[in-house]
Amino acid sequence: MTLFSRLTPLVVLGLASAPLISLPAMAEETIVFGAAISITGKTAKEGEYTRDGYQFAIDTINQLGGIKVGNKSYKVALKYYDDESKSERTAQLFEKLVNADKVNFLLGPYASAPTATAAPIAEKYRIPMVEANGSAESIFNKGYRYSFMVLSPAKLYLRGVLDLAKSLDPSVKTVAILGENEPFSKEVAQGAADYAKQIGLDVVYHELYPSNTQDVSSLLTNVKAKSPHILLGAGHLQDSLLVVKQSKDLGVSARAMGFSVGPSSPEFRANLKSDGDYIFGATQWTSALKYNGTDPWKTPAAYAQGFKAKYPAYSVIPYQVAESSAAVAVYQRAIENAGTLDPLKVRDAIAALDMMTFYGRIKFDNRNVNIYKPMAVEQLQPDGNKYTVFPVEVAEKKALYPMPPWDMRAKR
Amino acid sequence: MNLIEFGQIAVNAVLLSGILALVALGFSLVWGIMNIVNLSHGAFVVLGAYLTFYLHELVGLDPFVTIPIGMVILFLLGFAVQRVLINQVIRAPLLATFLLTFGLEILIVNLVNYFFKADLRSVTTRYTGAGLNLGPLRIPYIRLAALVISFALVAVTAAFLRSTRPGRAIRATGMDIDAARLTGVKVAQVYALTFAIGTSLAGAAGSLLSMIVPFDPNLGGTYTQRAFVICVLGGLGDVGNVILGAILYAFVDVFVGARLPELSQAFTFGALVLLLILRPQGIAGKKFYA
Repeated sequence: MTLFSRLTPLVVLGLASAPLISLPAMAEETIVFGAAISITGKTAKEGEYTRDGYQFAIDTINQLGGIKVGNKSYKVALKYYDDESKSERTAQLFEKLVNADKVNFLLGPYASAPTATAAPIAEKYRIPMVEANGSAESIFNKGYRYSFMVLSPAKLYLRGVLDLAKSLDPSVKTVAILGENEPFSKEVAQGAADYAKQIGLDVVYHELYPSNTQDVSSLLTNVKAKSPHILLGAGHLQDSLLVVKQSKDLGVSARAMGFSVGPSSPEFRANLKSDGDYIFGATQWTSALKYNGTDPWKTPAAYAQGFKAKYPAYSVIPYQVAESSAAVAVYQRAIENAGTLDPLKVRDAIAALDMMTFYGRIKFDNRNVNIYKPMAVEQLQPDGNKYTVFPVEVAEKKALYPMPPWDMRAKR
Repeated sequence: MNLIEFGQIAVNAVLLSGILALVALGFSLVWGIMNIVNLSHGAFVVLGAYLTFYLHELVGLDPFVTIPIGMVILFLLGFAVQRVLINQVIRAPLLATFLLTFGLEILIVNLVNYFFKADLRSVTTRYTGAGLNLGPLRIPYIRLAALVISFALVAVTAAFLRSTRPGRAIRATGMDIDAARLTGVKVAQVYALTFAIGTSLAGAAGSLLSMIVPFDPNLGGTYTQRAFVICVLGGLGDVGNVILGAILYAFVDVFVGARLPELSQAFTFGALVLLLILRPQGIAGKKFYA
């Protein structure tokens, strides 16, 4: 490892100093949002979702005439760099955005670890950062004043799956949890374990595996010996795919299987084909939810329609896109409420915000975390589609339960 | 850990060691013969994985059928890359070879990223996840096939090096480049052949990995690291050492992974450090390929 990591900066320094996107001809009445996003590296895909969500919101706001500050209208623009999925790069690039590029406000990077390195930069320069892709609460337990998170926090992620399983089958007793050893996933796993105990379930297995793992067969072999009723995975897309593939390899079947990250992304189905059936996925947002907001899009359905018109390559809209747009919507409202571009006043306006949006309610607690929005649960069903199945009030379809064991499934 | 769990974990480790041996074999050859630590090795693994993915997805070929096709393509590519690029740094200082191969890795990975996108891919077939039940133990077919193919390719490579003229020329060049040249070996061609065999084996490993793990253009880096550790553990100098190194690596990784999963990587790299202190030439390593 040392060999490689020592060489990395040598080669990379030369490559990444040019901005990735050119700004529209910049007049002085443009508000510039800056971010470092993972366009390459481990979370390149999610980084792309994040960027597209930011850009779509910015384009929409510009189409509607920009942001009103007092009686002057400003255009908005995004300036971003690729942090290569490396948290240490994220911090450097945020410094550059503030010092060299003089951006007005900051938007978050993708994932918790880089967000944790970006937050101190926002604090140091007293520039607000509204982030939409780092849901580890550890970031917000440090008393930062300038960082805000529009997401439901990590510990809530898998609650829905547990509630759902318990409501469908009062006889479920045991849960096994596999988590990736990084801040966000650890909190998801711990939150699920705590909640499982709280609702009377027995956590029979709870272990963490290293990030970038290529093999979870050892953990799954241990899990198989405990035959849990519910198997939960708290990691990222690649690990979730690996857990499903290897559970099938090793014949590990549970009555319900749920993941914090993975099933909501179209790649989950593309990779697993029918092996993805019956799997539950936590999601911050789906276009099936029934919110009625006061933002530029107002409802999830209208947002989805607008986004697809602009980005036809997306067959489904991942929640990362929606939450990233929501972060921009927060700025729009807060800047208009503040009536100035002064970072401190805008910060106070964000802190005071309580708005309903297409993304759900956005209001920050005293740590600047949006605890007011619930998590939803989706399920991949054998008809090839994915349905929102929880909360039950807004469900599109009834959840299919239990998941048939691997060896009982019909061959394709 | 009861006996069944122990047995299953041992099976997992053996299955893993096959694919790891194949990943490390090409890396070991290039290092041992040409004295180049090829940091772009993983990028060729990635190319193999994408070749299999697209031949399966677009042409409809069975992924196992794509292995020889991928090997031929990567052989030709490796031959060309060696003649054009790697040849420039053959007797250059170590740092120059690092920079060149590391740059090559970045180039290939970014090209793959550009053309094939950063999406995660897996090759999923009708028999994905199917397996053999041996009492309470389970052996997935694909992993079993990967083990057999890996060890077969290791054996073929060993036989090639031992009993064919070009194979002997490769070994002679590895032992003493000047003596080999005096006896009429065309060193430039031998190097190109060695490198091409290395990339071709990397391609085969990539084809097999595409059926086993979800991958994206960044898959390679972690396998270059693993190949490096395996070569150091087993030692250079013989094809068999690669198997030794791979088995050791797989057992440490899988058994530590069963009890202290967060620390499995720390332990495998810890084994590397320990070995470098106690036996720097590797468990069975020699100075040259012989």
